[in-house]
Amino acid sequence: MKTLMRKSALLPAVFALAAALGASPALAEDAVNVTNLSYRTGPFAATGTPLMNGQRDYMLMLNERDGGVNGVKLVYDECETGYNTEKGAECYEKTKGSSIVTQPWSTGITLQVLPKSNVDKIPILAPGYGFSPMSDGKVFQWAFNPPASYWDGASMILKNISEGNLDSLKGKKIVLLHLDAPYGKEPIPLLQAYAEKYGFTLLPIPVGVKEMQNQSAQWLQIRRERPDFVLMWGWGAMNVGAVTEAAKTKFPMDKFVGIWWSGHDGDMKSVGEAGKGYRSISWSLPHSESSVMQDIKKYVLDAKKAEIGEGEFDWVFYQRGVLISMFTVEGIKAAQAHFNTKVVSAEQLRWGLENLKLDEAALKAIGMDGMIAPFSTACNNHAGHAGGWMLQWDGAKFVKVSDHITADAEMIDPLVQTEAKKYAEANAPWPINEECKM
Amino acid sequence: MDFLNSILVKPFADMAGAPDFLLQVLWEGLVAGVLYALIALGFVLIYKSSRIFNFAQGIMVVFAALTLVGLHEKGVPALLAVPLTLLVMFILAVVIERVVLRPLVNQPDMILFMATIGITLFLVGFGEIIFGGENKVMITEQLYIPTGSIEFEPFGGFVSIEQKDVTAVVGAILLVAGLILFLNRSKMGRAIRALGDDHQAALSVGISLSTIWVLVWFIAGVIALVTGIVWGARAGVSFALEVIAFKALPVLMLGGLESVLGAIVGGLAIGILEKLFEIYWGQPLLGGNTETWFAFVFALIVLLFRPQGLFGERIIERV
Amino acid sequence: MLYRTVGQFKTSYHADHALFPVKQDAWLLGFILLIAFVVLPATANEFVFNALLIPVLVYALAALGLNILTGYAGQLSLGTGAFMGVGAYACYKLVTIFPELNIVVAIALSGFFSAAVGVAFGLPSLRIKGFYLAIATLAAQFFLVWLFEKWAWLYNYNSSGAIQVPNIDMFGLTVAGPNAKAVVQYYFVLCVVCLITWFAINITRGRIGRIWKSVRDMDIAAELVGINLMKAKLSAFAVSSYIVGVAGALFVFLWRGAAEPVLFDIPLSFRVLFIVIIGGMGSILGNYLGAVLIVALPVLISFVPGALGLPVSSAMVEHLNTMIVGATIIGFLILEPHGLARLWAIIREKLVIWPFPH
Repeated sequence: MKTLMRKSALLPAVFALAAALGASPALAEDAVNVTNLSYRTGPFAATGTPLMNGQRDYMLMLNERDGGVNGVKLVYDECETGYNTEKGAECYEKTKGSSIVTQPWSTGITLQVLPKSNVDKIPILAPGYGFSPMSDGKVFQWAFNPPASYWDGASMILKNISEGNLDSLKGKKIVLLHLDAPYGKEPIPLLQAYAEKYGFTLLPIPVGVKEMQNQSAQWLQIRRERPDFVLMWGWGAMNVGAVTEAAKTKFPMDKFVGIWWSGHDGDMKSVGEAGKGYRSISWSLPHSESSVMQDIKKYVLDAKKAEIGEGEFDWVFYQRGVLISMFTVEGIKAAQAHFNTKVVSAEQLRWGLENLKLDEAALKAIGMDGMIAPFSTACNNHAGHAGGWMLQWDGAKFVKVSDHITADAEMIDPLVQTEAKKYAEANAPWPINEECKM
Repeated sequence: MDFLNSILVKPFADMAGAPDFLLQVLWEGLVAGVLYALIALGFVLIYKSSRIFNFAQGIMVVFAALTLVGLHEKGVPALLAVPLTLLVMFILAVVIERVVLRPLVNQPDMILFMATIGITLFLVGFGEIIFGGENKVMITEQLYIPTGSIEFEPFGGFVSIEQKDVTAVVGAILLVAGLILFLNRSKMGRAIRALGDDHQAALSVGISLSTIWVLVWFIAGVIALVTGIVWGARAGVSFALEVIAFKALPVLMLGGLESVLGAIVGGLAIGILEKLFEIYWGQPLLGGNTETWFAFVFALIVLLFRPQGLFGERIIERV
Repeated sequence: MLYRTVGQFKTSYHADHALFPVKQDAWLLGFILLIAFVVLPATANEFVFNALLIPVLVYALAALGLNILTGYAGQLSLGTGAFMGVGAYACYKLVTIFPELNIVVAIALSGFFSAAVGVAFGLPSLRIKGFYLAIATLAAQFFLVWLFEKWAWLYNYNSSGAIQVPNIDMFGLTVAGPNAKAVVQYYFVLCVVCLITWFAINITRGRIGRIWKSVRDMDIAAELVGINLMKAKLSAFAVSSYIVGVAGALFVFLWRGAAEPVLFDIPLSFRVLFIVIIGGMGSILGNYLGAVLIVALPVLISFVPGALGLPVSSAMVEHLNTMIVGATIIGFLILEPHGLARLWAIIREKLVIWPFPH
């Protein structure tokens, strides 16, 4: 009997504990919580870790150097997802009470939380990933993908490989080697539109998550098809596998171009010389001598506040993580100025992210000039379309090999609008920002 | 007609049209098949001697490879790291036998199978804490594995064969030969086979169950290390490698759970057939990526005709 | 003393076959239902609904489906995740093709699709047994997930290849989609789960259930006493896949809100299998106990370092969590191979004779 009573008493007790834990912890007056749905575990950990480190270290540096943002401490937390959508959704539920921004870090998780953003009123920040039509800020009021969407990336790559003359692609064959997941499928609609207009053949070749490390079938197909170019939307172990196989099949490396997530120093290091000539588009440039990176070195790394791997400091991904945190921080700053407050709420941060003004002067002021192209966001433009550069692997590191490239708005905008409209209709009633007249 | 043509005629015409490419496909299939066979072999050894369907074989491959690379990173010379890794695998075998298997003696197969999944999860978490999640490079040069490639130019085309793949095939053949010799000639090997034939009879003639179990798990660990080295040399070492364990399952179905020969024949057959199907049927007709399921469906169809696999022991049921 | 069965007499066979021959069992169930229907909804916040209560119920339902196949009819399946996917995709197609269809009807119908697929993949069970069958069900698992990825019609040709749940109303309340309230979804899932559980209890203790059990214990012997093996095995596959399919539809429509094919991949199947094994094969109650342990425990563990103020990174917590789940599985298998349901049965035995030891 006692056991039974204890059991029945235990149930609500456990439950109350869970309720208390799930509730948002009371924040100190002058701090904002920015939680990151990170993944330092699972099959994609290798690519995730340097990005997360960069994000963390920028926040830590600001706290150490300036005491946060205008006197407001940044509380940087991580919730581990392992790139697993289910864990990601759980993390979203866990953090939405406290964090003023959601950084879902996977296209799958982004799609999962996107419909809830209107209801929960927390901005989603997905820099350079997520659902490309999110750049339509009228439809996706709460979602941001600065400084460039995947469609921007696809357009930039095509521009570069055709040396500025897209008509020269006529009659060519382009293979898209992609991860068989929402992320990898993102560029297909745009590339198809391009293929129709400029008369080249597009052949998407999917790589399943289980086949990432064993892509011999895919590369045999590439050998048979003899494409003029191979574009890659790869992630995690898939990148290494692809570059290794490309070297093996003797596919010319300079005809092989990846999206920004396929240009990871750590991946290429394990391929080494064999990957020489491989290119990857990037919206960020590593610049270890910039004042912000030096400050991170001084306040965080040398002060042993955090640890990163050897050589990681110079990596494209680590420094890109720094830039990603910068978007959040600049959004907070803009919101602080506009609403004349110190501790910004999620709704205020949304305004801030919508009104980012990162021109040359602003980037210089935060010590990031030369690391990213200037851009600004607006209520109809949540991506900013900053453009980027082509990086090339020289056997030891990535080097810039092109001038600044911008995406082709004429091709992308109509597609963004139709896809955004389709999304809103499928999820009716979906609120549209009617106030935005741009 | 067009449809039938694309299924029945065109693939073969393609094969005949580009024989050098076909050779390359067959070689790639063969190398993959050797690796499947190696993993399946680990399964078979353990199943034969203890009726345990060891799901942890995949993670053991990762664990062995990571230990080897990790030790080398710590500054241990490669040739010393190999025996040290073997020592670690031996300790692992002892711990698994002591902590997990011994208390579960005489439980139904299903329970033991679940326990190996538990071991898998435990090792995944444990391994990630120790080694971290990054993709690591297998130490090929230090282990004297050649890395270049050999090229032929038959039929006016070219076939490229990686030297490390050749090493993998040769290594696998030596390992299997050694294993067969061990099982058939040594006292311990005979004890393992005896245990596989009849548990109780083996026990009654004084074969020690726990010694043999540790031994087979250790051998499975050795096979895991070899698999980890050759597969890791192809694609790097990380936890993503764990999924190759699934590749061994249709091999087991096809070859039979108890048959060493079946694991080898099944592995090679599946490696080659799935590559041929993917290249000549899957990619042009089905949108590709059929390798995820082809082996399973193929094995399932074979099983409908031979429920115990090609080389498995005939299932005799008595009421 | 509370569990004293002395003095409860049965005067007819009918009474002896009642669902609760012991009165206290009925009270206990009533008490649990009271907590589930009244206490929990009144106290839980959104996080608890979405991360603990709804997933526990959905997983328990999926485990119930698998348990009918594996625990009652003895056919091991590793394809549960894919069958859940069939239910989810069927429901998505039904809802988008017939937008005015009531969601309850859509979910109920989607189960039939999954049952049909389940029977098709169950056919080999007439020839193949044991682990061979388990691997054969993996063929279903991998093939179906591949199909979800490749067959664009299933996800209405949208560019991301994922399915999104639209807002669905029922009697003026939004029950599914981004605008739905967690508490409404909880009640919806709870009602469906209760209904199916009631159905499952009755089917497993009736004629069909006994046929399944005899097939599980020895199929040749069952055949000799005149049981039609084909009918028995296929009906088990059908009922099991139906329940699993409904669980899959609930999984996406009432909980996740969106799904990509990889969600239904092998880890989901294993998770459901863990619940069945830890909970107890051949037990209805076990599914719930197992689901609480497997689904809720990791969520609760992830709060421990924060609550205690330990400086442990979230990645470390995740690694430890994986290890703990693995160790828990091994531990339970060693301590009580028949699962939590048996543990409860032992406790109940003890309570009945309490305070005497025998």
